[in-house]
Amino acid sequence: MPLGSLACMLMALPLLGSLVRGGTWWVPAFVMMAAVAGVSALYRLSRWNTFPVPFLQALVAALLVTPLFAGHVAPLGLLPTDQVLAHLVLAFEQGVDTINGSTPPVSSSAGVMLIIALALTILTVAADFLAVTARCPGMVGGLLLALVSVPLIVDDSGVGWLPAAACATGFLLLLAMDMWLRGHEWGMPVPEPGRHGSRAGALGAVRRAVTVSLASAAAVLLALTVPLALPSLRTDALHTMADGTYIGTGGDLITTTHPLVSLRRDLAFSDRTVLTYRTDTEQPEYLRTYVLDEFDGVNWTMTPVNASIDARVDGELPLPTGWGSAPSDGVVTTRISLDSETPRMDFLPLPYWARTVRATGEWYVDPRSLMVFTTDSAPTGLSFTVETVDRVPTAEELSDTGSPRSLPGDYRNLPRGLDPRVQELTDALTEGARTPYERAVALQEYFTGGAFTYDLDPPAVPTDADPLVHFLLEDRVGYCEQFAGAMAVMARQAGIPARVAVGYTAGERLGDGRWSVSSGDAHAWPELYFEGVGWVRFEPTPAAADGQGSASVPDYARGSEEGSDGPGTVPEEPDLPSDEAPERPEDDGAPEEVPSRAPEESEEPEDEPTSSAAPGDDAGTGTGPAWLSAAGAAAAGLLLLALPALVRALVRWSRMSALSAGAAGASGAHSAWRELRDTCLDLGGTWALAESPRATAERLARSGPAPRTAEPGGLMSGAAPGPVSPQAAEALWRLALAEEAARYAPSPKPPEGLREDLRTALAGLVAVVGPAARVRAVLLPRSLAPWRRPRPAPGPEPVTP
Amino acid sequence: MSLGTHHGGRGGGVQEDVGEIVAVADRVRGAIETVIEGKPEVLRLALTVLLAEGHLLIEDVPGVGKTMLAKALGRAVDCSVQRVQFTPDLLPSDITGVSVYHQDRREFEFNPGPVFANIVLGDEINRASPKTQAALLECMAERQVSVDGQTRTLERPFMVVATQNPADMEGTYALPEAQRDRFMARVSVGYPAPQAELDMIDSHSSRSPLDGLAPVTSAAQIRDLADRVHSVHVAPGMRRYVVDLVNATRTAPELRLGASPRATLHLVRAARAYAALDGRHYVVPDDVQALAVPVLAHRLLPGPEAQMERLSPEQIVAKLVARLPVPGPQ
Repeated sequence: MPLGSLACMLMALPLLGSLVRGGTWWVPAFVMMAAVAGVSALYRLSRWNTFPVPFLQALVAALLVTPLFAGHVAPLGLLPTDQVLAHLVLAFEQGVDTINGSTPPVSSSAGVMLIIALALTILTVAADFLAVTARCPGMVGGLLLALVSVPLIVDDSGVGWLPAAACATGFLLLLAMDMWLRGHEWGMPVPEPGRHGSRAGALGAVRRAVTVSLASAAAVLLALTVPLALPSLRTDALHTMADGTYIGTGGDLITTTHPLVSLRRDLAFSDRTVLTYRTDTEQPEYLRTYVLDEFDGVNWTMTPVNASIDARVDGELPLPTGWGSAPSDGVVTTRISLDSETPRMDFLPLPYWARTVRATGEWYVDPRSLMVFTTDSAPTGLSFTVETVDRVPTAEELSDTGSPRSLPGDYRNLPRGLDPRVQELTDALTEGARTPYERAVALQEYFTGGAFTYDLDPPAVPTDADPLVHFLLEDRVGYCEQFAGAMAVMARQAGIPARVAVGYTAGERLGDGRWSVSSGDAHAWPELYFEGVGWVRFEPTPAAADGQGSASVPDYARGSEEGSDGPGTVPEEPDLPSDEAPERPEDDGAPEEVPSRAPEESEEPEDEPTSSAAPGDDAGTGTGPAWLSAAGAAAAGLLLLALPALVRALVRWSRMSALSAGAAGASGAHSAWRELRDTCLDLGGTWALAESPRATAERLARSGPAPRTAEPGGLMSGAAPGPVSPQAAEALWRLALAEEAARYAPSPKPPEGLREDLRTALAGLVAVVGPAARVRAVLLPRSLAPWRRPRPAPGPEPVTP
Repeated sequence: MSLGTHHGGRGGGVQEDVGEIVAVADRVRGAIETVIEGKPEVLRLALTVLLAEGHLLIEDVPGVGKTMLAKALGRAVDCSVQRVQFTPDLLPSDITGVSVYHQDRREFEFNPGPVFANIVLGDEINRASPKTQAALLECMAERQVSVDGQTRTLERPFMVVATQNPADMEGTYALPEAQRDRFMARVSVGYPAPQAELDMIDSHSSRSPLDGLAPVTSAAQIRDLADRVHSVHVAPGMRRYVVDLVNATRTAPELRLGASPRATLHLVRAARAYAALDGRHYVVPDDVQALAVPVLAHRLLPGPEAQMERLSPEQIVAKLVARLPVPGPQ
């Protein structure tokens, strides 16, 4: 058995395979696991008390750690000294740093191997204890689950089917081995001797099989359907777990949903109000939550932000890169209130560029991006005030800028393996543009020019294709995430520092200076850096009806008239369909000056004729599926409620049909008596094992299925439901005598009329209890609960074999 | 009220074998009930012991009808009844009998003592000296008498019905536990119910009710019935149940002395007779449960804790019975 649990844990090892690079990381872990399992197996051969096993295992593991991981510093290769200990601690810390600091697969350094070996050794010791000492091998499944959750959480691609299958096989083997051993210790369970011929036996077997399979089918069905009907399980909980991003904050970690994942989710729920704000400007800026500044070839990610003491937000924020002092422009004050229904935000949505932020709680600022975040769990329904610089650059200002000098070069970094066709496209688009500004406008117009289709649910990218290339060159379908990401990449290629911002558009105007932002306004856009001006927003995503409804192209980014002609060389690009290109300027010429919900309304009637202007009414869009799922949930709930009753009815039917099938003699009497017992339990009565059948019948006849309140001795009192009818009492008595004869008589005569007696007796019992007890007996039959079964009272125990 | 009376005690398949037992027992019971009213359980127990060929110890305060019960039993069964009044000066030979030398015939003649009878009534047995008690108890166990080196077998049925006053009364020698163990059952008669006592005033004032008691069965028939009791079936589960119960008295922390293996045999025999009296040819747990206190309690010695808590052996046995699971389906 110790070896069985070892095999089980070893078969779970491949789960970690995708997380660690290199082929030898598992060797020390394997050695230590085998050693502790061997210790357990050897010690148990002695048949002494098993209490010291875990301690012995810990000792052996401690002895092994030195030669395995610190052999070169230890005397003789295995003596643990202070030096060895220090070395091990250092290696452990390095391992932690490696794991935290890199994305999987991590390199198999000594520290990582040490951590893996220690963790797996502890798991093996625990598995050994659970499976062998405690004889609960099923609990090992919990350990395996813990192991499975590591790759699930860390690795976006999840667990491959081969390691998962290996892990499951190991677990099943362990269970099977336990059953096999138990069978040898106690004797295999034998079916009841078929005293009444094989036909009755076969019938009984079929009935049992039908009962078991019906019950398990119902359970599986419910387990699969009920979670679907529950809305809370369907939306974000699972995504949050699978896509969590770790952000190092100088000591403690905060976990947040990946910004793009939450963006996708928000867009899917277009009707939920996220926040409202009041501002004194007519054209509020976008509200920026996250800034993604690293591109790995597929995804834009965020550099870890640091929650150090210096970064505490204390009213005023630091100046953004490129500004030595605050400009003399005016200040816009915005009061933002997060909706209490909105999930907690660890990062605040702020208009750019914020000068001061006043919010309760501890907030930190990232000086490079001006992101404001917390390491605590931020309160829901938070309100805060932000002051922004009222400064919108003009096109002239931007076109005067030169090459960026005040910025570190990493805002132009791109991974090496990028498809060269993207660079070719960028070059073709920006050909003839003299300044960075013109290049940026040319890139933006390429996206907004009509060649691209806005679709929240773009067709899936083939697994072997590069998503960026696929979007840019092949299907040209996507939403703000693709537009923003692609433009930022191309801007970097064009020599303009760029990054992707994630947040919300300005939302819908409610009048009176108040604005409302809903989850449909979630957005991503590129920010480009211009020397002397700073980070500037661009808008490549198509706006209006066919795009992101409330997006707006800033005035400065719209380009001058000749500017739109300048980059008009786009049609020369062979990949671009030439018939769509000329329409670009017209489309571009009618941007949404004032973000409003109107475009969305015009978009929606196609599928929802009842949609109206009020945002609250958008809840109606979910009506169809909502009532369907509600009905489904209700049906599932009813089914769940009725499940005990169904199972109980099945049991009763099986016994009754056994009685009428002429399973006379002992088994018939036993069936009838068991049914009586279960009904008595269902009705809230007690059933004492020390009570003989006739004593039980007498008690039931006298006081119905009442709980026994008396102490040993058998005096019943209390709130007895009262005596049953004389007919039922007689029937009870006959049932008791039949059961008694079946149990104790040498050759019991087949009793007659058991079925009718049983019906009479049950009806008599039910008749004397109150309606509440009857309902409970039907809906929640206690006889199905194993812990409600009668059990021997503490006291004398049978000593006879 | 005990089990079975609610339905008249008639239940499971009555067989011809036990049918006669029931009929005879009913007659005897009816006869005795003309003398002692309102004590059906005591009567039933007495009949059980008679059919199981055991001995009965009746323990109670004076004047509740102990002697009357024993006499009525002897009278109802047409058999020889002897009565011995135990006193401190009673000698063993006063019980077993003595050989007397006949001068004219020049030989010893054995004058059988009162023990040579079918039913021996030992009144106030705890008033005799231990030596005399021992003489009687030897007869009870061996069913034979040894006098002057000659062994004489006693006639069947042989039943000693001993009465005793509670041990703490004056001038008594309590029976040692070894001797109490020889009695199959102990019973206390108890005071009659008020109504029965009222009726008693009428029926007992003019003449002794025993005078009107005619025998309803014979010693030979009782012998025959006792043989049939042996054929009552005891299922394997029931045997285990009895052993478990007796074992429980040995392991119960409240008890200083548990029941002996002889108690196991007595309990099974009594249960057989009890079942037969109920018209059954097999023993059910109710038989054992009903008999556990009378058959076991007088053999047990409570431990100090039980004495502190004033738990009597009867209560302890009842507690054990209430907890021990009855044998279920095989």
